[in-house]
Parts: sequence; structure tokens; C-alpha cells
Amino acid sequence: MKLLKIAAGAVSGLAMLAGTAMADDKPVVGLIMKSLANEFFQNMMVGAQAHQEKRGDYELLAVGMQNETDFESQINAVENFITQGVDAIVVAPADSRAMVRPLKKAMDAGIVVVNFDVALDEDAKKQRGVELAFVGPDNRGGAKLAGDALGEKLGEGGKVVIIEGNPGADNATQRRLGFEDSVAEFKLDLLDSRTAHWETEEANSVFSNMLTAHPDIQGVMAANDSMAIGVVKALESAGRDDILVVGFDNIPAVGPMIEDGRMLATVDQFGTDMAANAIDLALEVVQGGPELEGWVKTPIELVTAN
Amino acid sequence: MTTQTLSESGRSTPQLSLRTVLHNAGIGLALLALIVFFSVFTEHFLTPNNITNILTQITINLVLAVGMTFVILVGGIDLSVGSVMAFAAVVAGKAITLPGFGPAEAIALAVVAATMTGVLCGVFNGVISAYWALPSFIITLGMLNIARGAALQVSDAQTIYSFPLAFEEFGSAMIYGVPVVFLVALLLVFVAWFILNFTVFGRILYGIGNNEEAVRLAGHSVFRYKVAAFTICGFTAGIAAIVYMARLNISSPIAGIGFELNAIAAVIIGGTSLSGGRGSVIGTLLGAVIIGVLANGLILIGLSDFMRQMITGVVIVFAVILDHYRAKYAAK
Repeated sequence: MKLLKIAAGAVSGLAMLAGTAMADDKPVVGLIMKSLANEFFQNMMVGAQAHQEKRGDYELLAVGMQNETDFESQINAVENFITQGVDAIVVAPADSRAMVRPLKKAMDAGIVVVNFDVALDEDAKKQRGVELAFVGPDNRGGAKLAGDALGEKLGEGGKVVIIEGNPGADNATQRRLGFEDSVAEFKLDLLDSRTAHWETEEANSVFSNMLTAHPDIQGVMAANDSMAIGVVKALESAGRDDILVVGFDNIPAVGPMIEDGRMLATVDQFGTDMAANAIDLALEVVQGGPELEGWVKTPIELVTAN
Repeated sequence: MTTQTLSESGRSTPQLSLRTVLHNAGIGLALLALIVFFSVFTEHFLTPNNITNILTQITINLVLAVGMTFVILVGGIDLSVGSVMAFAAVVAGKAITLPGFGPAEAIALAVVAATMTGVLCGVFNGVISAYWALPSFIITLGMLNIARGAALQVSDAQTIYSFPLAFEEFGSAMIYGVPVVFLVALLLVFVAWFILNFTVFGRILYGIGNNEEAVRLAGHSVFRYKVAAFTICGFTAGIAAIVYMARLNISSPIAGIGFELNAIAAVIIGGTSLSGGRGSVIGTLLGAVIIGVLANGLILIGLSDFMRQMITGVVIVFAVILDHYRAKYAAK
């Protein structure tokens, strides 16, 4: 009984909080992100909160999810935002197909929807009759920047391997394709390509084994920096300093590695600003600006030692 | 008279019976077959560097699996070890990067922080599941989430890095090509083997797995022994955290996702019964080596990631089927 009362109290408290948010004249933006266990999205949320405090002319309701594949909670979040009557939903979809239907519902309810970070699936959009712009980085182009940096150093015939992200994840696929574009352009020799599920320890093991199978590897393209760190540690324990490593994301932990040459390059897609920029775009539309169209590309930058 | 008593107790010791020796020999033969297979079909499998790699790669799983063996022997399961390892690594990562300590003190602080975090999580698992006689499957599933959440909370979901140089050196140190971290794991195996076979404590753990009621009627506190088993498992998760940090020089709050399943697989492939009371830590060592050899060898052969995952799955299923027949045979 007591527990029930506490729960009831908590629910009404939340409802009151939401009530005050709505009562203000400020527009309300619902931000839906992927796993907050991921450093990248955690920083993005912190960036969005700082942005809200700085602008001060809107209310921010932010939700994340438990893990990268928990799309159920994203769908629930959209439905909750529709019920709460937010003015805009800014969303980084965990699944580019599953999210189309609930977002269509939100658009039908007159909510401005901005899709950022990962693009919704084109076919799924067509099927539901949804016209929706995408605001986000070019993962494939970004990976190609890193791959090209490696290709330039190695030249034609350079022997490389790719460490991939989660099989099936859209950004993992795009980054792999970007690396493969570089392989084709610089006529590199791709010896092997394997997943390490974005994770340092797994990348360390998987890459050690690849190095044993192919001792003549000259370059490694890792689809994120966490895996690049695992590769660098594997090279250190194998006593090899002749192999070049590129990563993606520019997390703080790789800063020293790029400086001292253990890593050749990484790619910054300015994740901290990404949600904030998407919110700016959404607010413009809410305030009567033109609808967004096509692909609004956000900046990406190659990070090297100097 | 004395001699008779001794020999009787010798016979009732499952690890030292002929059957157990034969059984471990069986796993050993399976491992040998794998080694021969990979040596024939790949160029680099049986090279010193590759063996060093395999030993490095199995260390964390072996450390976790040693603790897991204790829990499974008393008829429990611990699904939280991967998350507890991450939590311990994050707490230790915070400790080791505290300003104002010399390298030696910082490392000592980290070791204490990691093992204490693991022990506390283990005590929680043990006390809650044993006191209320609740299924440890559920309680440790709860701990899996608690520890993962705590790891993310404490670290703000950020990777912690820049540890003292001496710590890095420990992580990559070798003695005649054998990684020092693996020797630490081997030491744990030895201590566990000694405890399980040559102490009253160990005998009672087996007894609980075989017949909890009999142990209770004999006047032992089953609660205390169960808590001890989970505490040991938490402790090894703390040690695994230290190995992770020393090897990779980072503490990641998302480390160790799914590691519990690998640890359980090592224990089961090693022939310890999921229903408790039967098995050995030597089997666990062999199980961990088999998993590591498969992961390494299948990459050297050039098999795709997906095929690799399937084959590892098939081996686990096969091990459980074997265990079924072993249990039948033992019951006769």
C-alpha cells in the first residue's frame, strides 16, 4: 500500500512537472536519443542541455534508451511525446525502419519532426507516405576521409584490414562502405574485415588474431575509436610500430594516441553539437520557417597530429 | 582403522576419483584434437606468438570462470559478472586517476577498489538469494542491471584513461612468452583447486550442490557457504577488472557485456554440472582454453564472424548433451 502511494505520488509529481513545462509559452522540444551508455550520445545529451540553458527560449524533454537495440522504448517515447503535446520531436532513430510509423503519427498530430544522426529508411518512408528531411553527418564520407588518410600514406597495394561495428547497424554499414571506397580508390589490398561489436577488448583479441593470420598488415581501419584503442594495445603487445591505425568519433581517450603517432587519424563528427543543431533547425520550423528538405549535412572533420 | 577412514574419504572425493580424471582427460583430448586440427590447417596456429595471444585472450574469461565455478557448484548461477567487472573497473579507474598519489599507491588503491567493489556485489548476490532462497538467476539478473547502471553513473558514460605507466607494463609483461596476467589467472585456478579439493569448506560446497538438505542436517550453515561462493565470484570479477584495465589501459563502463555467458560456457564445457555438486576447476581451465582456441583458430582459418558464432554455440550445446549422459552414468 505504502509503495503504491509513493508510486502514485511520483506519477502525479511527474505530471505536474510536465504540466508546468506545457503551461509556459515556450515551445517544447522532445529529444529522443539512442543508448546513453554510449559516450557519444551521453555527450550529445549534455550538449543539448547546455544549449537549452544558453538559448532559454524553449523547454527540453530528453529521453535515451537502455542499449543500442532497445527500439521499443524509442517508440514509447514518441507516443508519450504525442500525448504530452510537444511542439517538436528531434530523434536519432535506433532502427531506421521501426521508427517510421510512430513518427508518421506524430507528424499527423501536427508535431514538427526532425530526424538526425541516423537516416530513416527511404523505402519505409515512401511506403508510409512520409516526407522527412535528414539532418546528420555523412558516415560513409567520414570513414572515407579516414580511409583516404591511410591510403595516401600506404600507397597502391597497401595491405589493410577493417574492424567493423555491429553487423546490421546503419552507421556500421556506412563506415564499412566508406572504408571500402578508400580501398577501391587507392587500390589497397583488403586482407580481412571483421566485427568487434564497437568494443575495445573484443577489438584487441580479434585484431591480435588477424595480425597472426596476416603478419604483413600495414594499416587498420577501425569503425570507432573504442575499437581503435584495442587495436593500438594489440600492436603494442606485439611490438609492432610499423602499422598505421585510423579510427572514428574522436573520443578524448585517443587524443594522446594521435599526438604521439600511435594512431594516424580519427574523424570528428561534432557529436556534442549534433543534437543542439537539430533542435535549432526544429525550432525554426516551429516558428514558421520553411520545412526542411533532403539531407542537411552536418560538419565532419579529419583529426590528425597537427 | 585410520587407513580405512582415509581411503573412504578419498573415494567420496569426486575430483580425485578415476571417473573425474577420465572425464578431464576427455576434455583434454577434445582440446588436443582442436589443436591438431588448427595446426594442420593454418600456418600460424602453433607459433610462440600465437600461443601468447591465446593465453592473453583467455585470461579475463578464465578469471571470471573460476569464480563462476564456485557458484555453479552450489547449484547457483551468476549473470552479473560482466557488469560487475565493468563497475569494478570504473571504480578502480576513478581511484587510479585520483590526483596526488604516486604510481605505486595509485595502483594499490585501484586493486583494493576493484576487488572490494566485486566482493560487495558478490555479497549482495549471495545474501539476497540465499537468505530468501530466491533463484540466483533472477537476483543476479537484477545485479547485472544495478552494476551496469552504477558503472555508467559513476563514469558519466565516459571512458576513463591515462593510467600509470607501471600498470600498463604489468598488463603487457611476459615471462618466457607467458603473459603475467595469465599467470595470475593460473594462480587463481590453483588456489581454487586447492580450496575445492583439500579443505572442509570446499567439500561442503560440493555437498550443498549435491544435497543441500543433508548439509543442513549435518549442522552446517548453508546460507554462509552460499554467500561465500557468490563472494568469491564477485572477487574474481574484481580481479578480471584489474586485468582488463592493465591490458587495455582504459576503464570502459560498457566493458564486459555478455562476458557472463562466456564464463558460464567455459564452466559447462569444462564439465561442471549446471545443477551443481559435480565438476572441477581444472575442467573450467580446459573449457576456457577450448573457447579461446576456437575463437583464435577460426579467425586464422578465415571463417566468417557469423560462422564462428554458430560453431561456438554448437560446442556449448554439445557439452551440455555430454553432461546429460555423464549425469546418467554417474547416477548408476
